[in-house]
Amino acid sequence: MKRCRYWRKRIPEAIYGDLDIKTREKLDRHLAVCERCSDVYSGMAVTVRKMDARPAPDRSPQFWEDYWDRLEGRMAHEMEEPDGAQAGKKGHPAGVSLRRRRAFSVPRWAYGAAAAMVFLTLGIFIGRNLLRPPAEPPLLTRVMPSEPAPGGQPVLETGSAASPLAVRASRYLKRSRVLLLAVVNSDPRAEDVFSLNLPLQKKMSEELVKEATVLKKELRSSDRRLERLISDLETILLQIANLKSDADLSAVEIIKAGVESRDILFKIDLNVVRRSAGKSIVGQSLGPWGENRNQANVKAAAEA
Amino acid sequence: MSREEEARWADRLIAGDPSAFRDFVEAYKRKVYGLAYEMTRNHDDAEDISQVSFMKVHRSIGTLKPGLGLNAWLYRIVYNTALDHIRKRPFYPREALPSLASEPHFDGPRDPAPGPEKAAEAACLRRRIDEALTKVTERERAAFILRHYHDLKVKEIAQTLGVSLGTAKCYLFRSLRKLQKELADAETCLDTGDRP
Repeated sequence: MKRCRYWRKRIPEAIYGDLDIKTREKLDRHLAVCERCSDVYSGMAVTVRKMDARPAPDRSPQFWEDYWDRLEGRMAHEMEEPDGAQAGKKGHPAGVSLRRRRAFSVPRWAYGAAAAMVFLTLGIFIGRNLLRPPAEPPLLTRVMPSEPAPGGQPVLETGSAASPLAVRASRYLKRSRVLLLAVVNSDPRAEDVFSLNLPLQKKMSEELVKEATVLKKELRSSDRRLERLISDLETILLQIANLKSDADLSAVEIIKAGVESRDILFKIDLNVVRRSAGKSIVGQSLGPWGENRNQANVKAAAEA
Repeated sequence: MSREEEARWADRLIAGDPSAFRDFVEAYKRKVYGLAYEMTRNHDDAEDISQVSFMKVHRSIGTLKPGLGLNAWLYRIVYNTALDHIRKRPFYPREALPSLASEPHFDGPRDPAPGPEKAAEAACLRRRIDEALTKVTERERAAFILRHYHDLKVKEIAQTLGVSLGTAKCYLFRSLRKLQKELADAETCLDTGDRP
């Protein structure tokens, strides 16, 4: 089939006698064995013979005698008017094309390229300005009346930008949680009670109690749940701060019972989860301890 | 026209012989006009295209390099000028194009066949051929016309059309196949009462 395609393309040359002897012999050999190509050859040969019945177009002898004069006259005319306007007036598109090309010879591909650029620019413009999804309004999570705006309006705390108070509260809870975990997880029967390093924890508790007072004042009624949690923490922290320096196992047990009965750790974790959930809605990172920590908190809360 | 003759014409034109251009026009006017007519099928357009082509030759004769084919160069100018003309002229439905055989100024050689019946048959065949030539594309028609009426080799046809050798062969083959298909029942022209 591939050979047929090759030889068929050469059939017109063979009919017009343009093939060299060797190629012609090869074609003849192919035609001898290929009936379809042979049919094509004979059909085309008949067509070419039929075409001989139609002579080339010609005009009268008078037309040809005057041809040079007309051409010369036109050439002289074109020389006089090099802008080719006359040719256009007389309705000679060929003459017009000749002149126009010389005067303004921008290649055709340039138009295509320009059109492509225009479409591309238009597409980018539409994509950027018209098809862009509407910007999501910032998630309002909390009203912070403690820091009023200059215009008297309350400052709205968004999920993406936490206020200093929220950050401070978060840090406070974090530090308190570490402290409570150290106290709660100590086992006086199994290990040395002084491994608690009470002086350090008492000092830390004192600081936290002072900070709790300030935080409670600032929070007031904006977040009652957090305020109650800090109040509970304050009580526990006071107990820790008042521990005696030497081993006071009964006092530690009381503190443990207080932490357990008030669900202090659970409430801290719950607060962290609440904050993390609020931030994750607006696509921010989860909570102060990250996602893994948050999951651990939820787990711990569930266990509690 | 032999290669030597073609080269001689080219040399004369390049040398700037004062009478060379006129002689050249006289020698080539029928061929140039013939190709222009086959492309446009209109005598006025054909004359216009042939004149513009000769003027282009006159202007750009300096670009012709010695040794290169004058025929292919000239036919290329005519072919491109005709294409420009076709693209710029107002649209006419293909059916509205004049038929060569039906035009009174078709002054081809008289059919030597004796008798009115044979003459009518020959005229009918010419008309069928003209109609068949309208069914092929411009490039295919140009390839066929250049080979059949102007005796150009396939290589020269390729140069004229500005295509590769294989493409020129393809155009020639396709034009002949289409003409063969269109003229398959041309012998029955008289039997069916299809008269010019």
